[in-house]
Amino acid sequence: MWLSILIYSLLVLSSLLFCLIFGLPYLLSLALPERLRGRVIRYIILVYGRMIVYVAMRPCIRVRFEDLSGGPRRPGIYVFNHRSSSDPFLVSVLGEEIVQIVNGWPMRLKFYGYFARLGEYIDSTAGDYASFAAQIRMLNERGVSIVAFPEGTRSGGRHMNAFRSGIFHIARELRLPIYPGCIAGNEEMPTRRFKFKKSGTIMVRLLPPIVPTEQDQFPSAYALKIAVHRRIRQETAKMDKELDDAVIQPGK
Amino acid sequence: MTRDRLIELINQIFVDQFELEPEELTPEKRIFEDFALDSLDIVDLITGLQRKFGISLRDNKDVQQIRTLQDIYDLVEKLARDNPDLIAKLPE
Repeated sequence: MWLSILIYSLLVLSSLLFCLIFGLPYLLSLALPERLRGRVIRYIILVYGRMIVYVAMRPCIRVRFEDLSGGPRRPGIYVFNHRSSSDPFLVSVLGEEIVQIVNGWPMRLKFYGYFARLGEYIDSTAGDYASFAAQIRMLNERGVSIVAFPEGTRSGGRHMNAFRSGIFHIARELRLPIYPGCIAGNEEMPTRRFKFKKSGTIMVRLLPPIVPTEQDQFPSAYALKIAVHRRIRQETAKMDKELDDAVIQPGK
Repeated sequence: MTRDRLIELINQIFVDQFELEPEELTPEKRIFEDFALDSLDIVDLITGLQRKFGISLRDNKDVQQIRTLQDIYDLVEKLARDNPDLIAKLPE
């Protein structure tokens, strides 16, 4: 419990510090045209996320990012597993301009929701498939990648919930690469159960992309979704084992 | 055309389109919970059924009641009973 309080305190302190530093750029961005403002806000969100991940959490947790995507990444769709509410912060390790697809409720949060709306984050509960695809197409044409958590809601443990198909239909329709991403080690964070019993490490691993020509080999978006789910599930199982082994090693 | 043949053709859609294993396809299976199909996948399923059987399901209200594989078998069998031509046109 004390660890959770410490993590939350660091989070709040970092947020306050961040507001002091980026308050002026934020205010100036409000005078910009919507499209440019969105870009500025997304970069502010990116820096904020990285500050949380690499500075605020650092005294308690080390975040290790492994990019196995092989070479420069072109704007596409990042598909991550979703264990914890810390996942939206952790995707900042990608280090690029992104828009996340989120459920309705985070968009209504006072602080985060406000910036998410300014950053043109996509509310999965608002609009239909066509408007959803149009938004993603528009963002992609501006060089912005999309981050999706197709489980829809946190699993809260090491298991993965079933994926929803929408983002896979859109990837095929817009011919965008899919980057499967795996997050492990944060399933109990931030909850009162979180302890240093694990290695104190959170791992984020980006797998090789599934490019459009490879997606064409799948007979349907459903088959593609099942394949991506399987890849992420197998990789996160490996990562869980790596984290467990890392804890066991020193005590041998 | 027997009911078994209809079931075989329907199952073939699940195998070809969704890459499910034939042994998974038992009548009591719930297509949303057990196969993790969602509303967009159902559109693909309907398209597959329409193409395979040469029928239109666009305005068929029974489609909304589909929950299990059994429901799909029953729906297609009912359509086949109502449209004898449908059976004649099916691949052997």
